[in-house]
Amino acid sequence: MNDLWHVTALSLLLKGVHCRYGRHPAVHSVDLDVPAGLRVALIGTNGSGKSTLLRAVLGFQPVADGVVEVGGERAVSAAQWRKRRTEVAWIPQLRSTGRFPLLLGELLDSSGDGVAAREAAARLGLEGLESRGVHTLSGGQAQRAWLARAVGAVAAGAGMLLADEPTAALDFVGQEEAAAVLTELPVTLLVATHDRAVAEACDKVVEMAAGRLRDVA
Amino acid sequence: MIAELLALVPVQRAGFGLLLGAIALPPVGVLIVGLDIYPVRFAIMHVALLGSAIGLLTGTDPLLWALVLCALAGGGLAPFATTSAGLSGAMGLLMSLAIAVALLVLSISGVNANGAFELLWGSILSTRPVDLAVLGVLAVAIPALFWWRRRDLSLLLHDRELAACSGVRTGPLTMALLVVIAVSIAGAIKLTGALLVDALTLLPALAARRIGRGLTGMVVASIGIGLVVAVGGLMLALVLDQPPGPVLVLLAGVIALLAQLLPMRRT
Repeated sequence: MNDLWHVTALSLLLKGVHCRYGRHPAVHSVDLDVPAGLRVALIGTNGSGKSTLLRAVLGFQPVADGVVEVGGERAVSAAQWRKRRTEVAWIPQLRSTGRFPLLLGELLDSSGDGVAAREAAARLGLEGLESRGVHTLSGGQAQRAWLARAVGAVAAGAGMLLADEPTAALDFVGQEEAAAVLTELPVTLLVATHDRAVAEACDKVVEMAAGRLRDVA
Repeated sequence: MIAELLALVPVQRAGFGLLLGAIALPPVGVLIVGLDIYPVRFAIMHVALLGSAIGLLTGTDPLLWALVLCALAGGGLAPFATTSAGLSGAMGLLMSLAIAVALLVLSISGVNANGAFELLWGSILSTRPVDLAVLGVLAVAIPALFWWRRRDLSLLLHDRELAACSGVRTGPLTMALLVVIAVSIAGAIKLTGALLVDALTLLPALAARRIGRGLTGMVVASIGIGLVVAVGGLMLALVLDQPPGPVLVLLAGVIALLAQLLPMRRT
Protein backbone atom coordinates (compact mmCIF):
# COMPACT_ATOMS: atom_id res chain seq x y z
CA MET A 1 0.00 0.00 0.00
CA ASN A 2 2.89 2.33 0.76
CA ASP A 3 4.07 1.94 -2.83
CA LEU A 4 0.68 2.94 -4.13
CA TRP A 5 0.47 6.01 -1.92
CA HIS A 6 4.11 7.17 -2.20
CA VAL A 7 3.92 8.11 1.46
CA THR A 8 6.63 8.06 4.10
CA ALA A 9 5.17 7.59 7.55
CA LEU A 10 6.58 10.00 10.13
CA SER A 11 7.49 9.44 13.75
CA LEU A 12 6.08 11.53 16.59
CA LEU A 13 7.98 12.44 19.73
CA LEU A 14 6.47 14.31 22.65
CA LYS A 15 8.79 15.00 25.56
CA GLY A 16 7.68 16.77 28.75
CA VAL A 17 4.86 18.59 26.97
CA HIS A 18 2.86 21.07 29.05
CA CYS A 19 -0.13 23.06 27.77
CA ARG A 20 -2.20 25.56 29.69
CA TYR A 21 -5.37 27.57 29.28
CA GLY A 22 -4.42 30.68 31.21
CA ARG A 23 -3.37 29.39 34.61
CA HIS A 24 -5.16 26.08 34.21
CA PRO A 25 -2.97 23.18 33.11
CA ALA A 26 -4.59 21.07 30.38
CA VAL A 27 -1.68 18.79 29.47
CA HIS A 28 0.91 17.99 32.09
CA SER A 29 4.35 16.57 31.39
CA VAL A 30 3.33 14.25 28.58
CA ASP A 31 5.90 11.92 27.06
CA LEU A 32 4.97 9.88 24.01
CA ASP A 33 7.14 8.17 21.41
CA VAL A 34 5.26 6.94 18.35
CA PRO A 35 7.46 5.17 15.78
CA ALA A 36 6.69 5.79 12.12
CA GLY A 37 3.71 3.77 10.94
CA LEU A 38 2.32 2.92 14.38
CA ARG A 39 -1.40 3.47 15.01
CA VAL A 40 -2.16 4.81 18.48
CA ALA A 41 -5.57 5.35 20.04
CA LEU A 42 -5.79 8.12 22.61
CA ILE A 43 -8.66 7.51 24.99
CA GLY A 44 -9.85 9.38 28.06
CA THR A 45 -12.77 11.23 29.52
CA ASN A 46 -14.01 14.57 28.21
CA GLY A 47 -11.71 17.37 29.31
CA SER A 48 -8.77 15.05 29.94
CA GLY A 49 -6.57 16.90 27.44
CA LYS A 50 -6.79 14.70 24.33
CA SER A 51 -7.81 17.45 21.93
CA THR A 52 -5.34 19.90 23.43
CA LEU A 53 -2.51 17.44 22.91
CA LEU A 54 -3.42 16.83 19.27
CA ARG A 55 -3.80 20.55 18.60
CA ALA A 56 -0.40 21.19 20.20
CA VAL A 57 1.24 18.97 17.58
CA LEU A 58 -0.21 21.23 14.87
CA GLY A 59 0.60 24.47 16.68
CA PHE A 60 -3.02 25.40 17.24
CA GLN A 61 -2.47 25.13 20.97
CA PRO A 62 0.67 26.78 22.38
CA VAL A 63 3.09 24.44 24.13
CA ALA A 64 4.11 26.05 27.42
CA ASP A 65 7.02 23.68 27.88
CA GLY A 66 8.45 20.55 26.33
CA VAL A 67 9.38 19.24 22.91
CA VAL A 68 7.20 18.20 19.96
CA GLU A 69 8.95 16.56 17.01
CA VAL A 70 7.39 15.14 13.85
CA GLY A 71 9.75 13.11 11.71
CA GLY A 72 12.55 14.22 14.02
CA GLU A 73 11.94 17.90 13.34
CA ARG A 74 10.71 20.67 15.59
CA ALA A 75 8.61 23.55 14.27
CA VAL A 76 9.50 27.07 15.33
CA SER A 77 9.28 29.41 12.36
CA ALA A 78 6.14 30.09 10.33
CA ALA A 79 7.64 28.16 7.42
CA GLN A 80 8.31 25.15 9.65
CA TRP A 81 4.73 25.20 10.93
CA ARG A 82 3.43 25.38 7.36
CA LYS A 83 5.57 22.35 6.51
CA ARG A 84 4.29 20.44 9.52
CA ARG A 85 0.68 21.18 8.65
CA THR A 86 1.16 19.69 5.21
CA GLU A 87 3.00 16.68 6.61
CA VAL A 88 0.31 16.00 9.19
CA ALA A 89 -3.27 15.40 8.04
CA TRP A 90 -5.88 16.63 10.50
CA ILE A 91 -9.45 15.66 11.29
CA PRO A 92 -10.74 18.16 13.87
CA GLN A 93 -13.42 17.45 16.40
CA LEU A 94 -16.81 18.02 14.84
CA ARG A 95 -17.83 21.63 15.31
CA SER A 96 -20.25 24.07 13.79
CA THR A 97 -18.34 23.83 10.48
CA GLY A 98 -17.10 27.36 10.17
CA ARG A 99 -18.77 30.73 9.95
CA PHE A 100 -18.72 31.17 6.19
CA PRO A 101 -20.08 29.05 3.35
CA LEU A 102 -17.62 26.50 2.01
CA LEU A 103 -18.58 23.90 -0.57
CA LEU A 104 -17.85 20.25 0.06
CA GLY A 105 -15.85 20.16 -3.17
CA GLU A 106 -13.71 23.05 -1.90
CA LEU A 107 -13.11 21.24 1.37
CA LEU A 108 -12.01 18.09 -0.47
CA ASP A 109 -9.79 20.04 -2.88
CA SER A 110 -8.08 21.77 0.05
CA SER A 111 -6.49 18.43 0.96
CA GLY A 112 -3.81 18.79 -1.69
CA ASP A 113 -5.09 15.87 -3.77
CA GLY A 114 -8.66 16.64 -4.70
CA VAL A 115 -8.98 13.60 -6.94
CA ALA A 116 -8.09 11.15 -4.16
CA ALA A 117 -10.27 13.03 -1.68
CA ARG A 118 -13.25 13.01 -4.04
CA GLU A 119 -12.79 9.28 -4.69
CA ALA A 120 -12.71 8.66 -0.96
CA ALA A 121 -15.78 10.86 -0.50
CA ALA A 122 -17.62 8.79 -3.10
CA ARG A 123 -16.66 5.57 -1.30
CA LEU A 124 -17.93 7.10 1.93
CA GLY A 125 -21.33 7.89 0.42
CA LEU A 126 -20.85 11.57 -0.38
CA GLU A 127 -20.92 11.31 -4.16
CA GLY A 128 -22.90 14.09 -5.82
CA LEU A 129 -22.75 16.37 -2.81
CA GLU A 130 -19.65 18.33 -3.88
CA SER A 131 -21.63 21.49 -4.59
CA ARG A 132 -23.35 21.40 -1.22
CA GLY A 133 -22.25 23.82 1.48
CA VAL A 134 -20.41 22.06 4.30
CA HIS A 135 -22.77 23.78 6.74
CA THR A 136 -25.72 21.99 5.15
CA LEU A 137 -24.30 18.50 5.74
CA SER A 138 -25.39 16.36 8.65
CA GLY A 139 -22.90 15.68 11.42
CA GLY A 140 -22.18 12.22 10.05
CA GLN A 141 -21.75 13.50 6.51
CA ALA A 142 -19.41 16.22 7.74
CA GLN A 143 -17.24 13.67 9.54
CA ARG A 144 -17.10 11.51 6.42
CA ALA A 145 -16.13 14.62 4.46
CA TRP A 146 -13.24 15.36 6.81
CA LEU A 147 -12.19 11.71 6.64
CA ALA A 148 -12.19 11.90 2.85
CA ARG A 149 -10.16 15.11 3.07
CA ALA A 150 -7.64 13.30 5.27
CA VAL A 151 -7.32 10.58 2.62
CA GLY A 152 -6.60 13.30 0.08
CA ALA A 153 -3.99 14.84 2.37
CA VAL A 154 -2.26 11.47 2.77
CA ALA A 155 -2.37 10.96 -0.99
CA ALA A 156 -0.72 14.38 -1.29
CA GLY A 157 2.13 13.22 0.94
CA ALA A 158 1.14 13.63 4.58
CA GLY A 159 2.95 11.02 6.65
CA MET A 160 0.88 11.32 9.79
CA LEU A 161 -2.79 11.62 10.63
CA LEU A 162 -4.16 13.24 13.76
CA ALA A 163 -7.85 12.62 14.25
CA ASP A 164 -9.98 14.04 17.04
CA GLU A 165 -13.02 11.84 17.68
CA PRO A 166 -13.51 11.22 13.95
CA THR A 167 -16.42 8.81 14.39
CA ALA A 168 -18.39 10.57 17.14
CA ALA A 169 -21.31 11.47 14.87
CA LEU A 170 -21.40 8.21 12.88
CA ASP A 171 -23.73 5.26 13.22
CA PHE A 172 -22.35 1.79 13.96
CA VAL A 173 -21.81 0.90 10.29
CA GLY A 174 -20.23 4.27 9.66
CA GLN A 175 -17.93 3.84 12.65
CA GLU A 176 -16.64 0.53 11.30
CA GLU A 177 -16.17 1.97 7.80
CA ALA A 178 -14.34 4.96 9.21
CA ALA A 179 -12.18 2.79 11.44
CA ALA A 180 -11.24 0.70 8.41
CA VAL A 181 -10.31 3.77 6.35
CA LEU A 182 -8.34 5.32 9.21
CA THR A 183 -6.29 2.25 10.00
CA GLU A 184 -5.64 1.26 6.39
CA LEU A 185 -3.90 4.53 5.61
CA PRO A 186 -0.14 3.95 5.41
CA VAL A 187 0.69 6.66 7.93
CA THR A 188 1.39 7.14 11.59
CA LEU A 189 -1.96 7.56 13.30
CA LEU A 190 -2.82 9.26 16.57
CA VAL A 191 -6.55 9.22 17.09
CA ALA A 192 -8.47 10.57 20.07
CA THR A 193 -11.54 8.42 20.39
CA HIS A 194 -14.27 7.00 22.57
CA ASP A 195 -15.04 4.45 19.84
CA ARG A 196 -14.16 0.86 20.72
CA ALA A 197 -13.98 -0.16 17.03
CA VAL A 198 -11.36 2.49 16.32
CA ALA A 199 -9.36 1.73 19.47
CA GLU A 200 -9.34 -2.01 18.73
CA ALA A 201 -8.08 -1.41 15.21
CA CYS A 202 -5.04 0.44 16.54
CA ASP A 203 -1.68 -1.05 17.53
CA LYS A 204 -1.52 0.72 20.87
CA VAL A 205 -3.89 2.43 23.27
CA VAL A 206 -2.86 5.21 25.64
CA GLU A 207 -5.09 7.04 28.08
CA MET A 208 -5.22 10.69 29.09
CA ALA A 209 -6.48 11.45 32.58
CA ALA A 210 -6.39 14.93 34.08
CA GLY A 211 -3.82 16.02 31.54
CA ARG A 212 -1.44 13.10 32.11
CA LEU A 213 -0.76 10.13 29.84
CA ARG A 214 -0.47 6.45 30.67
CA ASP A 215 -0.24 3.25 28.64
CA VAL A 216 -3.28 0.98 28.55
CA ALA A 217 -2.39 -1.68 25.99
CA MET B 1 -35.59 67.06 -15.29
CA ILE B 2 -33.64 63.85 -14.64
CA ALA B 3 -31.80 64.34 -17.92
CA GLU B 4 -30.86 67.87 -16.90
CA LEU B 5 -29.57 66.67 -13.53
CA LEU B 6 -27.60 63.88 -15.15
CA ALA B 7 -25.93 66.42 -17.42
CA LEU B 8 -24.40 68.15 -14.40
CA VAL B 9 -20.77 67.25 -13.76
CA PRO B 10 -21.18 66.73 -9.97
CA VAL B 11 -24.06 64.34 -10.59
CA GLN B 12 -22.07 62.48 -13.24
CA ARG B 13 -19.14 62.17 -10.85
CA ALA B 14 -21.46 60.98 -8.11
CA GLY B 15 -22.97 58.37 -10.39
CA PHE B 16 -19.59 57.18 -11.62
CA GLY B 17 -18.29 57.08 -8.06
CA LEU B 18 -21.27 55.03 -6.97
CA LEU B 19 -20.73 52.58 -9.82
CA LEU B 20 -17.08 52.15 -8.86
CA GLY B 21 -18.05 51.88 -5.21
CA ALA B 22 -20.67 49.27 -6.06
CA ILE B 23 -17.94 47.10 -7.57
CA ALA B 24 -15.30 47.67 -4.89
CA LEU B 25 -17.19 47.87 -1.63
CA PRO B 26 -19.65 44.93 -1.50
CA PRO B 27 -16.78 42.38 -1.62
CA VAL B 28 -15.31 44.26 1.34
CA GLY B 29 -18.62 43.67 3.10
CA VAL B 30 -18.25 39.97 2.31
CA LEU B 31 -14.88 40.06 4.06
CA ILE B 32 -16.37 41.83 7.07
CA VAL B 33 -19.12 39.20 7.31
CA GLY B 34 -16.64 36.37 6.79
CA LEU B 35 -14.19 37.60 9.38
CA ASP B 36 -17.07 38.49 11.72
CA ILE B 37 -15.66 41.96 12.39
CA TYR B 38 -18.75 44.11 12.06
CA PRO B 39 -17.43 46.87 14.42
CA VAL B 40 -14.43 47.41 12.15
CA ARG B 41 -16.36 50.00 10.14
CA PHE B 42 -16.74 52.24 13.17
CA ALA B 43 -13.16 51.76 14.31
CA ILE B 44 -11.78 52.61 10.88
CA MET B 45 -14.08 55.60 10.50
CA HIS B 46 -12.69 57.03 13.73
CA VAL B 47 -9.18 56.52 12.41
CA ALA B 48 -10.21 58.24 9.18
CA LEU B 49 -11.50 61.12 11.26
CA LEU B 50 -8.09 61.32 12.90
CA GLY B 51 -6.48 61.36 9.47
CA SER B 52 -8.78 64.17 8.42
CA ALA B 53 -7.88 66.14 11.54
CA ILE B 54 -4.18 65.74 10.79
CA GLY B 55 -4.82 66.84 7.21
CA LEU B 56 -6.58 69.97 8.43
CA LEU B 57 -3.78 70.63 10.90
CA THR B 58 -1.03 70.27 8.32
CA GLY B 59 -2.88 71.77 5.39
CA THR B 60 -2.56 68.57 3.36
CA ASP B 61 -5.16 66.32 1.77
CA PRO B 62 -7.30 64.75 4.54
CA LEU B 63 -8.14 61.77 2.29
CA LEU B 64 -4.48 60.92 1.90
CA TRP B 65 -3.97 60.96 5.65
CA ALA B 66 -7.11 58.93 6.17
CA LEU B 67 -5.93 56.29 3.70
CA VAL B 68 -2.47 56.03 5.23
CA LEU B 69 -3.64 55.91 8.84
CA CYS B 70 -6.41 53.43 8.03
CA ALA B 71 -3.95 51.16 6.23
CA LEU B 72 -1.65 51.26 9.24
CA ALA B 73 -4.57 50.61 11.59
CA GLY B 74 -5.73 47.64 9.53
CA GLY B 75 -2.26 46.15 9.56
CA GLY B 76 -1.89 46.87 13.26
CA LEU B 77 -5.08 44.98 14.05
CA ALA B 78 -3.93 41.81 12.28
CA PRO B 79 -1.94 40.24 15.15
CA PHE B 80 -5.06 40.32 17.32
CA ALA B 81 -6.97 38.16 14.83
CA THR B 82 -5.23 35.01 16.08
CA THR B 83 -5.72 35.71 19.77
CA SER B 84 -8.49 34.07 21.75
CA ALA B 85 -9.96 37.49 22.49
CA GLY B 86 -10.26 38.19 18.76
CA LEU B 87 -10.42 41.61 17.16
CA SER B 88 -13.38 43.11 19.03
CA GLY B 89 -11.44 44.44 22.00
CA ALA B 90 -8.64 45.79 19.82
CA MET B 91 -11.14 47.53 17.56
CA GLY B 92 -12.88 49.11 20.55
CA LEU B 93 -9.56 50.37 21.88
CA LEU B 94 -8.57 51.68 18.47
CA MET B 95 -11.89 53.48 18.08
CA SER B 96 -11.62 55.21 21.44
CA LEU B 97 -8.00 56.20 21.05
CA ALA B 98 -8.48 57.46 17.50
CA ILE B 99 -11.38 59.76 18.34
CA ALA B 100 -9.61 61.03 21.45
CA VAL B 101 -6.44 61.87 19.53
CA ALA B 102 -8.50 63.37 16.70
CA LEU B 103 -10.30 65.73 19.07
CA LEU B 104 -7.00 66.62 20.70
CA VAL B 105 -5.42 67.37 17.31
CA LEU B 106 -8.37 69.54 16.35
CA SER B 107 -8.20 71.36 19.67
CA ILE B 108 -4.44 71.95 19.44
CA SER B 109 -4.59 73.07 15.84
CA GLY B 110 -7.45 75.46 16.48
CA VAL B 111 -9.01 74.63 13.11
CA ASN B 112 -12.75 74.40 12.61
CA ALA B 113 -13.76 70.85 13.47
CA ASN B 114 -16.70 70.95 11.10
CA GLY B 115 -14.41 70.12 8.20
CA ALA B 116 -13.30 66.94 9.86
CA PHE B 117 -16.74 65.89 10.97
CA GLU B 118 -18.09 66.29 7.43
CA LEU B 119 -16.52 62.91 6.94
CA LEU B 120 -19.21 61.35 9.06
CA TRP B 121 -21.92 62.41 6.65
CA GLY B 122 -20.20 62.11 3.32
CA SER B 123 -20.83 64.42 0.42
CA ILE B 124 -21.63 62.41 -2.66
CA LEU B 125 -22.18 65.40 -4.92
CA SER B 126 -18.79 66.88 -4.05
CA THR B 127 -16.91 63.77 -5.24
CA ARG B 128 -13.58 64.87 -6.70
CA PRO B 129 -11.50 63.28 -9.47
CA VAL B 130 -9.01 62.09 -6.86
CA ASP B 131 -11.84 60.31 -5.00
CA LEU B 132 -12.83 58.63 -8.27
CA ALA B 133 -9.23 57.61 -8.85
CA VAL B 134 -9.04 55.96 -5.42
CA LEU B 135 -12.36 54.19 -6.00
CA GLY B 136 -11.23 53.14 -9.47
CA VAL B 137 -8.11 51.50 -8.08
CA LEU B 138 -10.19 49.71 -5.44
CA ALA B 139 -12.78 48.61 -8.03
CA VAL B 140 -10.04 46.88 -10.00
CA ALA B 141 -7.86 45.64 -7.15
CA ILE B 142 -10.48 44.14 -4.85
CA PRO B 143 -12.30 41.88 -7.35
CA ALA B 144 -8.87 40.91 -8.72
CA LEU B 145 -7.73 39.96 -5.21
CA PHE B 146 -10.83 37.82 -4.75
CA TRP B 147 -10.29 36.06 -8.05
CA TRP B 148 -6.57 35.55 -7.53
CA ARG B 149 -6.82 34.23 -3.98
CA ARG B 150 -10.33 32.77 -4.05
CA ARG B 151 -9.25 29.35 -2.77
CA ASP B 152 -7.28 30.79 0.13
CA LEU B 153 -10.02 33.28 0.97
CA SER B 154 -12.73 30.61 0.95
CA LEU B 155 -10.76 28.50 3.38
CA LEU B 156 -9.67 31.36 5.65
CA LEU B 157 -13.14 32.85 5.92
CA HIS B 158 -14.60 29.43 6.67
CA ASP B 159 -12.09 28.27 9.24
CA ARG B 160 -8.64 29.68 10.04
CA GLU B 161 -7.31 26.27 11.13
CA LEU B 162 -8.54 24.55 8.00
CA ALA B 163 -6.81 27.25 5.97
CA ALA B 164 -3.59 26.77 7.93
CA CYS B 165 -3.75 23.01 7.30
CA SER B 166 -4.23 23.68 3.60
CA GLY B 167 -1.02 25.63 3.14
CA VAL B 168 -2.59 29.09 3.39
CA ARG B 169 -0.39 31.77 4.97
CA THR B 170 -3.15 32.86 7.31
CA GLY B 171 -1.22 35.61 9.10
CA PRO B 172 -0.10 37.64 6.06
CA LEU B 173 -3.42 37.05 4.30
CA THR B 174 -5.40 38.26 7.32
CA MET B 175 -3.22 41.35 7.52
CA ALA B 176 -3.72 42.03 3.81
CA LEU B 177 -7.48 41.67 4.17
CA LEU B 178 -7.64 44.03 7.14
CA VAL B 179 -5.59 46.60 5.24
CA VAL B 180 -7.90 46.22 2.23
CA ILE B 181 -10.96 46.65 4.43
CA ALA B 182 -9.52 49.70 6.16
CA VAL B 183 -8.34 51.40 2.98
CA SER B 184 -11.63 50.66 1.22
CA ILE B 185 -13.69 52.19 4.00
CA ALA B 186 -11.41 55.22 4.05
CA GLY B 187 -11.61 55.47 0.27
CA ALA B 188 -15.40 55.42 0.39
CA ILE B 189 -15.64 58.21 2.93
CA LYS B 190 -16.32 60.96 0.45
CA LEU B 191 -18.90 58.85 -1.29
CA THR B 192 -20.90 57.48 1.58
CA GLY B 193 -19.70 59.05 4.79
CA ALA B 194 -19.13 57.08 7.94
CA LEU B 195 -22.76 56.68 8.76
CA LEU B 196 -23.85 55.45 5.34
CA VAL B 197 -20.95 53.20 4.42
CA ASP B 198 -23.03 50.11 5.17
CA ALA B 199 -25.22 50.81 2.14
CA LEU B 200 -22.44 49.68 -0.16
CA THR B 201 -20.53 47.30 2.10
CA LEU B 202 -22.42 45.32 4.66
CA LEU B 203 -25.99 45.37 3.37
CA PRO B 204 -25.21 43.96 -0.10
CA ALA B 205 -23.01 41.32 1.53
CA LEU B 206 -25.72 40.30 3.97
CA ALA B 207 -28.22 40.00 1.11
CA ALA B 208 -25.72 38.08 -1.02
CA ARG B 209 -25.16 35.61 1.80
CA ARG B 210 -28.70 34.34 1.21
CA ILE B 211 -28.30 34.19 -2.55
CA GLY B 212 -24.75 33.26 -3.51
CA ARG B 213 -23.22 29.81 -3.30
CA GLY B 214 -19.73 29.71 -1.87
CA LEU B 215 -17.39 32.69 -1.80
CA THR B 216 -17.34 33.41 -5.55
CA GLY B 217 -21.13 33.28 -5.74
CA MET B 218 -21.44 35.59 -2.77
CA VAL B 219 -19.01 38.13 -4.20
CA VAL B 220 -20.70 38.18 -7.60
CA ALA B 221 -24.14 38.48 -5.97
CA SER B 222 -22.94 41.25 -3.65
CA ILE B 223 -21.56 43.29 -6.56
CA GLY B 224 -24.81 42.79 -8.48
CA ILE B 225 -26.83 43.99 -5.50
CA GLY B 226 -24.41 46.88 -4.99
CA LEU B 227 -24.93 48.01 -8.59
CA VAL B 228 -28.71 47.83 -8.20
CA VAL B 229 -28.47 49.88 -5.00
CA ALA B 230 -26.11 52.44 -6.55
CA VAL B 231 -28.00 53.00 -9.79
CA GLY B 232 -31.48 52.58 -8.31
CA GLY B 233 -30.71 54.65 -5.23
CA LEU B 234 -29.23 57.57 -7.15
CA MET B 235 -32.06 57.64 -9.68
CA LEU B 236 -34.64 57.41 -6.93
CA ALA B 237 -32.97 60.24 -5.04
CA LEU B 238 -32.97 62.42 -8.15
CA VAL B 239 -36.62 61.65 -8.90
CA LEU B 240 -37.69 62.27 -5.32
CA ASP B 241 -35.34 65.26 -4.98
CA GLN B 242 -33.96 63.84 -1.74
CA PRO B 243 -30.37 63.39 -0.51
CA PRO B 244 -28.85 60.27 -2.13
CA GLY B 245 -27.23 58.84 1.02
CA PRO B 246 -30.35 57.98 3.01
CA VAL B 247 -32.14 56.77 -0.13
CA LEU B 248 -29.23 54.43 -0.92
CA VAL B 249 -29.24 53.04 2.60
CA LEU B 250 -33.00 52.52 2.60
CA LEU B 251 -32.92 50.76 -0.76
CA ALA B 252 -30.02 48.54 0.34
CA GLY B 253 -31.82 47.82 3.59
CA VAL B 254 -35.03 46.81 1.80
CA ILE B 255 -33.08 44.47 -0.49
CA ALA B 256 -31.25 42.95 2.49
CA LEU B 257 -34.54 42.45 4.30
CA LEU B 258 -36.19 40.87 1.26
CA ALA B 259 -33.19 38.56 0.88
CA GLN B 260 -33.72 37.35 4.43
CA LEU B 261 -37.09 36.02 3.32
CA LEU B 262 -35.37 33.68 0.90
CA PRO B 263 -34.49 30.21 2.17
CA MET B 264 -30.77 29.56 2.60
CA ARG B 265 -29.42 27.70 -0.45
CA ARG B 266 -28.68 24.06 0.19
CA THR B 267 -27.29 23.31 -3.22
